[in-house]
Amino acid sequence: MNWKTTLKVIAAALLAALLAPAFAQDAPVKIGYAISRTGPFAAGAQISQEPNYIMWAEQVNAAGGLSVKGKKRKIELIGVDDRSEVETMVRSYEKLMASDKVDLILPPWGTGMNFAVMPLAQKHGYPMLPPTATGRKLLGMKNPYFFALLQQPDSMMNALAEFMKARGVKTAAVIHVDELFGLEQMGALELALKEKGIQIIEKKSYPIGVKDLQPVLNDIKVKNPDAFVSLSYPPDTFLVTGQARAIGFNPKLFYAAVGAAFPVYRDKMGPAAEGVMGLGTWNPKMSPQAKAYFDAHVARWKKEPDRWASAHAWAGLQILEQAVAKAGLDRKVLRETIAKDEFNTVIGKIRFRNGENISTPGVVSQWQSGEFEVVWPPQNATSPAYFPKPNWK
Amino acid sequence: MAYWFELAAGGLITGGIYAVVALGLNLQYGLMRIMNISHGEFLMLGAYLTWLGHTVLQANPLVFLPVVALALFALGVAVYWLCFQRITRTAPAVEAIEARSLLVGFGLMFLVQNVAYLAWGADLRGYSFLTDPIEIGGARLMTNRLVVFAFAVGASLLLLAVLRWTLIGKAVRAMMQSPTGAQLVGIDTRFLHPVVFGAGIALAGVAGALLSMVYEISPGMGEPYTVTALIVIVLGGLGSAIGCLLGGFLLGLVETFGMHFTSPSLKMLLSYAVLTGVLLARPKGLFAR
Repeated sequence: MNWKTTLKVIAAALLAALLAPAFAQDAPVKIGYAISRTGPFAAGAQISQEPNYIMWAEQVNAAGGLSVKGKKRKIELIGVDDRSEVETMVRSYEKLMASDKVDLILPPWGTGMNFAVMPLAQKHGYPMLPPTATGRKLLGMKNPYFFALLQQPDSMMNALAEFMKARGVKTAAVIHVDELFGLEQMGALELALKEKGIQIIEKKSYPIGVKDLQPVLNDIKVKNPDAFVSLSYPPDTFLVTGQARAIGFNPKLFYAAVGAAFPVYRDKMGPAAEGVMGLGTWNPKMSPQAKAYFDAHVARWKKEPDRWASAHAWAGLQILEQAVAKAGLDRKVLRETIAKDEFNTVIGKIRFRNGENISTPGVVSQWQSGEFEVVWPPQNATSPAYFPKPNWK
Repeated sequence: MAYWFELAAGGLITGGIYAVVALGLNLQYGLMRIMNISHGEFLMLGAYLTWLGHTVLQANPLVFLPVVALALFALGVAVYWLCFQRITRTAPAVEAIEARSLLVGFGLMFLVQNVAYLAWGADLRGYSFLTDPIEIGGARLMTNRLVVFAFAVGASLLLLAVLRWTLIGKAVRAMMQSPTGAQLVGIDTRFLHPVVFGAGIALAGVAGALLSMVYEISPGMGEPYTVTALIVIVLGGLGSAIGCLLGGFLLGLVETFGMHFTSPSLKMLLSYAVLTGVLLARPKGLFAR
């Protein structure tokens, strides 16, 4: 260190010492979370969730801090890597809540992880707003501190079934990943299709980490269903698209679940993504607020947010921000506020009933010229659907 | 008929991918008894290098293959020199090499994986290359998978030929059978060891480069491939190049036909049933001598 920098450091230290008393009563708001930075969950967590946490804290701090009942206080984020391990995640939250006594927590990534940490949040009285947890099983726990932002499987699958019925789809083939997520979605879809009188002519499950689904797709191609639905996870979503294209299996409706909303899906599949439908919720065309969020994300991270849970993550942070501004950091009052109030977010107004987001409707999205357009229900659509799906390019 | 051909071709191609993944580890574990559990991580590095080459330099991944191979060969020699040289020189017996290198491999696995997380983040990455299907005998097959398959067959046969018929191949085999004996007849094991290890890493990198054309990549992608590689090597017989190829084919075919006749969910069960069956019938693998 040369003398100039030394001088600067000393000057800065003196200045800080002078100003310190003025800030003394405004200690930062400590917000803790554990999330997957490594391991199998890292891809999902780092696409949809953690970048939003960091960007939110930066934005709020740049604007002077988090408003706690009108008083602005800086945010101090305490984030740790859970290595995609449930035990590490639970232990980290236990430490954050019980010994570090953080003011607020942000949720971990994924249904299983949130399921595991729910009881802890209730025990220590921390409200949590997970953007990547879905399933009736979680809501069935009736945990008063748990507020699920994502649309539930029945709401998403109902929207898909409604779209199918509206377009005269008669038969469908479904494959699903052999895991809680796939099973829940499958159950919801079967029910919804039965209600609408659409016949499932083929139903197959496959394990996580599958490297080849061509034999299954060949079987389905022979049966020639109107619609093909793949309730898949990201790697399989890519696999199933590539292989369906390779064997020239082009049903009138091609739907892939998780991963279809990721920008990397469009980048990797190129023109083949055109007309593929999937689990999504929003896009920057939806509202000026959505566009502002999209632009901020691109500017900060040099990558686009995904068109599904990224916006839910941002909405969760907005809800927390609005609730803290009104109720302060007394977590009991905060919980009441989140449970009762209606909030204005990037994906529209949100209100909870028994921990479920009852405002955001189930939607169907479709890739059209590089954007994941919302195509169903009509009142939420940003573009009319391509139906039947155009041929693979 | 075309239907069955397509199924069989699909199985063979998947088998080819398994064989490619196993080639490099087969050199290291099969021939040198270095249990390099970080094999999949070097495969991941190869995949990332190719992805970088394709997205930053707009390089054709196939043209870029030699660059990846050379870079990883150099890295492999460096890793050998840093981590494994001492182990192979001081180990009292072959079994000790296995056990000790396993520990070092674990360390390397964490190190390389986390470096990749730091460098590229945890996002899924991918690019589109040769995804157009080709029709052969009524079956539609993806071009990039065929390239991997062709490479698997080519590289396995080449390796087989080198090990069996060239002087350097004989030297490598001699080095394994009896390190001391090999030195007595004038084989420079100090030179040969790092070269064979480096070649193993280079092959892992090339496998990664080829896989990046077919699947998406992420820093954590390597571990499952290490497991696949181990199954294939054990199935085929340690150190046998042809065993590696045919072991991969067998696994691929059983999985594909098994998935067709039963359910894809039974895939793991089928793979391990094959492995168990082979180990019961031929405990040293299909092609062990």
